Amino acid sequence: MLKFILALCAGKCISAAIHILGPILHKNGTHLPGNIALKIDPLFLKHIGRPKTIVAVTGTNGKTTTNNLIIDALEKNGYKVLSNRYGSNVNSGIATALLQGVNLFNRTKYQLGVLEVDERSSLRVYKYVHPDYVVVTNLMRDSLMRNAHPQYIFDIIEQSLPDDCTMILNADDLLSNRLKPDNARVYYGVGQQPGDSATARNLINDVQICPRCHSKLQYHVLRYNSIGRAVCPHCGLTSPEADVCTMDIDYENRLLTMKVGNAPVEFPMISDSTFNIYNETAAVAVLDQLGLSHDKIAQAFSTMKVVRSRYREDKVRGIRILSTMTKGWIAPACSAVFDYVSKLPGEKELILYLEDPTDPIFYSELLAYTYETDFEFLNKDNIQRIIVIGKRARDFYLRMLLAGIPKERLAWTETIEGLKRYLKPKYGVDIHILYDLHQAIHYDQIFTNVKEAIEEAKL
Amino acid sequence: MIRIEILYSETANLYGDNFGIDYLKQSLDEVEIIRTGLTETPRFVNESVDLVYMGPMPESSQELVIDALRPHMEALRRRIDEGKVFLMTGNAFEVFGAYIENEDGTRIPGLELFGGYAKRRMMDRFNGMFLGSLDDADGKELKILGFKSQFTHFYGDTGVNYAFKRLRGKGLNPDAEGEGVRIKNFIGTYLIGPLLVVNPLFTVYILKLCGIKDPHPAFEEAAMDAYNVRVKEFEDPTKSY
Repeated sequence: MLKFILALCAGKCISAAIHILGPILHKNGTHLPGNIALKIDPLFLKHIGRPKTIVAVTGTNGKTTTNNLIIDALEKNGYKVLSNRYGSNVNSGIATALLQGVNLFNRTKYQLGVLEVDERSSLRVYKYVHPDYVVVTNLMRDSLMRNAHPQYIFDIIEQSLPDDCTMILNADDLLSNRLKPDNARVYYGVGQQPGDSATARNLINDVQICPRCHSKLQYHVLRYNSIGRAVCPHCGLTSPEADVCTMDIDYENRLLTMKVGNAPVEFPMISDSTFNIYNETAAVAVLDQLGLSHDKIAQAFSTMKVVRSRYREDKVRGIRILSTMTKGWIAPACSAVFDYVSKLPGEKELILYLEDPTDPIFYSELLAYTYETDFEFLNKDNIQRIIVIGKRARDFYLRMLLAGIPKERLAWTETIEGLKRYLKPKYGVDIHILYDLHQAIHYDQIFTNVKEAIEEAKL
Repeated sequence: MIRIEILYSETANLYGDNFGIDYLKQSLDEVEIIRTGLTETPRFVNESVDLVYMGPMPESSQELVIDALRPHMEALRRRIDEGKVFLMTGNAFEVFGAYIENEDGTRIPGLELFGGYAKRRMMDRFNGMFLGSLDDADGKELKILGFKSQFTHFYGDTGVNYAFKRLRGKGLNPDAEGEGVRIKNFIGTYLIGPLLVVNPLFTVYILKLCGIKDPHPAFEEAAMDAYNVRVKEFEDPTKSY
């Protein structure tokens, strides 16, 4: 116990130091207090005080959005929620959040905790931090070097979770919704919608065979990757019915009609993307479980929006520059951004900077994920030019040629300065910058070059 | 026209490596691509197929693949003897060894096309680069580069040749002199990339094995440009493997 007391004191001191110095150093240090505490006491997560009720939010895509929707709705209704929303979702980040939630006597200041948990960290977190509710948004391909494949992550979560937590699962993901089959469970999903199709649009779908008998599944709805509704023609396995289901999507009035239990309930639509409609439905399912009335949920949602923290829009001499941070290494995430950008109306030029910035220094980056990513979505007539930047630009260029994009529309440059050679700013043509999370440090440099290219163009 | 059969792509489809077959398709004027599912009889059993390909898969699928292929091993051996081309990338080739050993010591019996065994360490993912070589039909050395991202290494006496000579990086296991296995035109390798896309010269080599005269990989100039840059990087002593 002495180790724990030392860890708690050290963690508290470091938290206080970060609180004072963080704004000066521009660091939030959300790993550090937890990291040090775990180093002093490896069982720190076991001993630290915690809220009475804990909701864990996990899954490949959408966990941050879902987590934030749940927390915001609860806070708007007067709940005091312990969370790691401004910090890290691995064990050290969770240790930091719990550490900050207790006083020096290890007594928690919160009744309720909502924690985003990295899937790969499940083994190190759930062993000590017992969740009462676990929301799994989906399981899809992630960084192959770290997360291998979705079945591997499924197995990790399956063996980490306790047998008595309530699972809140995506009815339309036949992989993740099979987690902890004997636990209490609530399914959420999106019902049949106009325009739904059974045709695969993506290169990858990780649930093509029946998880029970291994025959080929038949999808009657396939929205993206493996998200859809399927039936096994051999053994009859079907996607489960959703307990909380978005039945009607009214884009015009921005309303979602959900079946919650047996009653239809209207909620404000927070975002019109399919991904976020799933996230919002998941949030409703959790809030309903926590006992928040439908009216209160709807009221909270009415003032909320999904913050596109990874998006910004600027205008230089009348030309729009739209910047979107894109998660390199994660094929479904890149494909989703490509799909979204390609469907935006109007003429556009695209700048891609997706490689890992450490690549040229330490190794030669594995770009296998680009062959799981739907670059084919970018083969559109209104995308006038795609310029790819970086040491690996040649590889991206080849990938796009293989996606059928005409050579005349493609250009590549190793340096950011080289951009100006290929960018042809024109009125009425938007410039989109898609850059990897790890390239954020270079974003200003890209933006400056784009700005200069516009200013130098004789418009 | 050549015929290419992709085995079990409904599950053996990881790491984008199956795109190598798209690359072959785009490199050829006439090609028939056959996708055989787990519940179907492979076409190579009763028909002439020029290339049989299988890509990386989840570990749980390896058992399904072993069960699916076991009844057809006699036909598979016959096709190898006839000189047909088989290419297995990532962990696909492991199913043809003696067995796969789990961390708890239990064993999954393999198809015993060759000896040796794969050993799983599911909490210890191995990522690395590999540079090797292969002599083509004219005795010219082809540089082969690729990546490894796997939970296994392959140990024991395979009783067959390596697919590639090792120049840098780890081979079949950390102490092995070479990478992959080779029996006539059956090539099994842990390498991914996609292997064929990142190695246009190896793509030419495979197409020649399939009987194509003077093959050219799709977008040859762009592919060779990317390959040449990669080879320099892979040879650079400052790069960590």
